[in-house]
Amino acid sequence: MADILEKLDAGEVSRLEDAARNIRKNLVDTIYKAGDGHPAPALSASDILAVLYFKIMKLDPKNPLWEERDRLILSKGHACPALYSALAMKGYFPETELPTLRKINSKLQGHPDMKKTPGVDSTSGSLGNGISVGLGMALAARVKKLDYFTYVVTGDGELQEGIIWEALMSAAKYKTGNLIVIVDNNGMQSGGHIEEVSGLCPILPKWEAFGWHCQEIDGHDVSQIYSAIKTAQKVTDRPSMILAHTIKGKGVPYMENNNAWHKGVPSEEQWKIAMEVLGGASK
Amino acid sequence: MIKKQSTRIAFTEGLMEVAAEKPETVLVCSDSIKVVKAEPFMEKYPERYFDVGIAEQNAVGCAAGLAASGLMPFLATYAGFITMRACEQIRTFVAYPGLNVKFIGANGGMASGEREGVTHQFFEDIGIMRTIPGITVVVPADAGQVKQAVKAVANIEGPAYIRIGSGRDPVLFENDEPFELGKIRVLKDYGDDVAIFTNGFIIHRSLEAAELLLKEGIKVKVVEVHTLKPLDVEGITGVLRKTKAAVTVEDHNIIGGLGSAIAETSAEEIPVPVIRLGLKDVYPESGEPDELLDKYGMSVSDIMNACRVAIGKKGEG
Repeated sequence: MADILEKLDAGEVSRLEDAARNIRKNLVDTIYKAGDGHPAPALSASDILAVLYFKIMKLDPKNPLWEERDRLILSKGHACPALYSALAMKGYFPETELPTLRKINSKLQGHPDMKKTPGVDSTSGSLGNGISVGLGMALAARVKKLDYFTYVVTGDGELQEGIIWEALMSAAKYKTGNLIVIVDNNGMQSGGHIEEVSGLCPILPKWEAFGWHCQEIDGHDVSQIYSAIKTAQKVTDRPSMILAHTIKGKGVPYMENNNAWHKGVPSEEQWKIAMEVLGGASK
Repeated sequence: MIKKQSTRIAFTEGLMEVAAEKPETVLVCSDSIKVVKAEPFMEKYPERYFDVGIAEQNAVGCAAGLAASGLMPFLATYAGFITMRACEQIRTFVAYPGLNVKFIGANGGMASGEREGVTHQFFEDIGIMRTIPGITVVVPADAGQVKQAVKAVANIEGPAYIRIGSGRDPVLFENDEPFELGKIRVLKDYGDDVAIFTNGFIIHRSLEAAELLLKEGIKVKVVEVHTLKPLDVEGITGVLRKTKAAVTVEDHNIIGGLGSAIAETSAEEIPVPVIRLGLKDVYPESGEPDELLDKYGMSVSDIMNACRVAIGKKGEG
């Protein structure tokens, strides 16, 4: 068990905040140029993906299927503009391909496709399924005696799917310490606030009751994200969940907590504002 | 009296042979180890056996993750719980990415579910699996063929579905009868009056009908179509060219399964009358397998009548 919290130094914090800002800039730009996509749920997950891809995960972009790599499943597949931006920034494919999102003959499908997009470890987008697939990957590491981690980023709305709780039970049974789930808890789903749509809340006590190691953090604080993942990595006798409190649309002021941006395309004026706000240090 | 042999035990026998050769073989169950008689696998390879509980959707998702990491999962439980409850997981997370998961569906067909009743009689599985792109779909004839089919699908990369039965399944072939994936097999060739296309654990009924029809002077070909996907279009068309009339006999809804496959092939390649026998889009009930088959339109006399009707329709179009 973790007794000392592993922390980032100030330089690393700044580097990861830049990476997150660039993911956001790229994803809004992608959706604007592609003319379709889900910006707000991608923005809420951007800091989580920045810490995973630019600090935590063991990867080789030149060898996307490297057997010993860490895996990431974006269970909330509709947030894929954020994933595609991170992958392009890592060098899995050129950033110039990002605007082909959702267009014919593109390797960037409307929802992630593991066969078409280098760096995508699992097809996803049909909600609720990522933890089951992640459990399979975690068990495969055990069979193959490999020490990779499998990370699953879920939304909160998709926790309403029954298969989620099936997966939680079996992951607890198999004590998959190499499976780490991060819940992007932005509080909203397509139809409204999660607590209005279903009886899901409170989330954390339910997961604890299912036998998982649980932490609760600010999902936009790269230091907290990093420390929580490092703590989770040290928990070997059960799977881990990190409940990351986030803001849907985070980083683009007119999209924040505005569910109209669950799916939508910025106008030219809105795009300019977003690019300005997210300008910052460019990669 | 027809000899019976368990297709469920045959599955596990095939699995054990595959596992001995291929260390990537793993087994995923959903509290179904006893259903598919796979205890020998669990005992010999405990580290390669996963039971996720009564949770088929999770079982399929988990199998997808195992396969995405280079393993070859067999997922075995009741046919309907795989193909209906976890249908979307099969389609989106296994078949769409072309992952190497082998599905084994028990109680395939009304007669295999027999006394359990409709909840455990699965006569839609083949239709469902046929509509999902990229899955090999096999309905073996008996235990010996199940064992060989298990080995055959393990030798191809990609998803596959094999139907197995109740564990009290009629034996059709000698145990060393070969099995060739993707090819039809002519079981009887009395002549060219009509072809009976059939598969699964009820083939002996068509053979009996063909023999009785021969006594009336009606000469029948009996053709086994064990692989529904990929379908042997060339082989089927070749038979249809000769007989110019067909009857299909399957323990499945007449919609979506073998009857549909033959009718589709005929319509595109060589239009001839096709009479489909099977469950006529109705729900059956509990009962003994032979009583059920007789009551629900798959009796020997039903098959004989269908042959006469098909022959009578020749040239009508």
